[in-house]
Amino acid sequence: MFDFSFLRVYNGTTMISQEKLRILTESAKYDVSCSSSGSERKNKAGLGNGYVAGCCHSFTPDGRCISLLKILLSNDCIYDCRYCPNRASTDVERATATPDEICELTIDFYKRNYIEGLFLSSAVTKNPDYTMEQLLLTVKKLRTEYNFHGYIHLKGIPKADEALNKEAALYADRMSYNVEFPSEKSLKLLAPQKNKQSLLLPMKTLTAERAQFREEKKKGFIKGHFLPAGQTTQMIIGASPEPDGQVLKLSQALYRKMDLKRVYYSSYVPVVQDSLLPQKEVGQLREHRLYQADWLLRFYGFSVDEIVEENENLSLEFDPKCAWALRNMHLFPVEINRAPLEMLLRVPGIGGKNAHKILEARRYTTLTFEDLIKMKIALKRAKHFITCNGKYAGAKNEFAVRGLLAAAEQSDSAEQLSLFPAFFGDTFPPVSERFLLRSSKANALTALTGQF
Amino acid sequence: MMYFFDGTVNGFLTAFVQAFLDTNALLSSRVSQLPLGQEPITVTTDEKLAARAEQRLCAFDRNAKKDLSALLRSGEEDAEQAAFAYFKLLATKKRPVSRMFSEEAVFRATEILKRIGLEIHRFHGFIRFTECASGALYAPFSPDNDICDLLLPHFKARFPNYPFVLHDVKRKKAAVYDGQNVFVAPLDKADILLSADEENWQTLWKQYYTSVNIPSRERLKQMRGYMPARYWQFMPEKN
Repeated sequence: MFDFSFLRVYNGTTMISQEKLRILTESAKYDVSCSSSGSERKNKAGLGNGYVAGCCHSFTPDGRCISLLKILLSNDCIYDCRYCPNRASTDVERATATPDEICELTIDFYKRNYIEGLFLSSAVTKNPDYTMEQLLLTVKKLRTEYNFHGYIHLKGIPKADEALNKEAALYADRMSYNVEFPSEKSLKLLAPQKNKQSLLLPMKTLTAERAQFREEKKKGFIKGHFLPAGQTTQMIIGASPEPDGQVLKLSQALYRKMDLKRVYYSSYVPVVQDSLLPQKEVGQLREHRLYQADWLLRFYGFSVDEIVEENENLSLEFDPKCAWALRNMHLFPVEINRAPLEMLLRVPGIGGKNAHKILEARRYTTLTFEDLIKMKIALKRAKHFITCNGKYAGAKNEFAVRGLLAAAEQSDSAEQLSLFPAFFGDTFPPVSERFLLRSSKANALTALTGQF
Repeated sequence: MMYFFDGTVNGFLTAFVQAFLDTNALLSSRVSQLPLGQEPITVTTDEKLAARAEQRLCAFDRNAKKDLSALLRSGEEDAEQAAFAYFKLLATKKRPVSRMFSEEAVFRATEILKRIGLEIHRFHGFIRFTECASGALYAPFSPDNDICDLLLPHFKARFPNYPFVLHDVKRKKAAVYDGQNVFVAPLDKADILLSADEENWQTLWKQYYTSVNIPSRERLKQMRGYMPARYWQFMPEKN
């Protein structure tokens, strides 16, 4: 017989009300991150485990995936960040869930395979320490009492006690503090109760602690987990005047120094009327370009200096890799049968997977354009930058290349945005953030990609 | 010539050997309309011959066995023919060919294998369990490829304390974990007694699905691309 005694602990005793679930979900839904990748947590006679590649369980009509149960513990905030729909001075429905309600909801959704885990965040209620304590209590309960080994992403509360953060890191798979704005000045202006130090310091501490923990674990001194899926952060783009160059510079620093797994960018939509905030929404194209540049930083061996000047924005006309290639035409065309991987990765139109495919295939034969077509490698952009066995099939001069690339960009600008491989784990930016946001009155209160 | 076999790995291998020298060979386990002028040959599975063929193929590429078993699970029309072309190439080259992407046969076989892998990954997410009164979990689904047993390791590792049934309603079979062992059994229709709270949780899930959506950013095409409509049938949030 199986021991179902633990079922009795939570089966149906404190089911969260539908109303509360609605309020707390609607308050949390603009959070960008929803990835469940990076954790190998094993099941220890309980419920759930990690899924390294990440796993999407459903997709909503806005095209985003549901991987984690994204919810706030409470949306009753004492802070008054200017851009935030849950700020203290607005009149929205408020709700607070108990840790047990959240735990049960997670367990019961999880075992029906609705979700991959929990993404728990909270408005700052009473004070940062109290809020962090409640969050910690919830994840601790979930791990120890409810015996849950699925994915947990926990939002860190700035200015909370360091010891609380560290303890939370022992239970969560991933934690995130949101940088919000690329400069201290903007942060001060728009989120007066937060400051750079209060966001970066806990990040830094956790990074150092995590490194130390891993070191000792390797030696066998300790067991357990300490943020196996690392940390992430999020920036709001366009609510403040910083150019893309500055944003990416910060991202690069965060990746290199803080060892962050992801930086999320969310373009700003003016839903909160405020004299300090711009009234114009930011096109999703800018956000898309930032993600493209971000990918170049992480997977293609580029550094920010190559992509964009610090005081400039990314070109909207060309994607960052194309733009780079056009500035460096003297390096092209490259011979597909001989170019090293690093150079293949820099050819516009050839991505990581195709670069590796080419490396494999050319070991057996000399590749021609026909071969590339058979391998389903898109040549629309690439043909201007490569030769196959000495043959060139691109446009005659740089000017023509420029024109054709611009045309290519335009012709599939809509389509291209949806060409992200659907199941690249869920390491891809949630789909919605790549598209034009349209603010409606009905959504005006919550339609903000900001952080709570 | 058209070679009919019984759909099993050994059946395929027998047909493979028989058809090897036939340049116009068509392999199939499904009854379909014969191309004009084709004569069907019904292949009788020869276990010994099959074992020998398998051994040879595995000597050229140690993944051959795995690849073959996967290819034959595909729901694609041309999967068996693609497998034939792929293994014929392997037997001709006498060394691993799986990376020769510029070969048509390799590309097609890789594509089919990728589709199966993708569907397995998708169902890791799209399977929907309902809780029975006994505490066991039951999930009906209808995959394109014959993959129900390939989902077992994932869910067994995840829910070691819950007996569960993955019911492929199209192929009328089920992959079962009884709390200790896993096995596959034929299953036509299952009688389910739902647990007391099952409906309430489904209601909450539907509420969550509605609330987490951002209506002003509707992108239905995107949603369908990631989660094709044929999978919706057994998902409470889409019904």
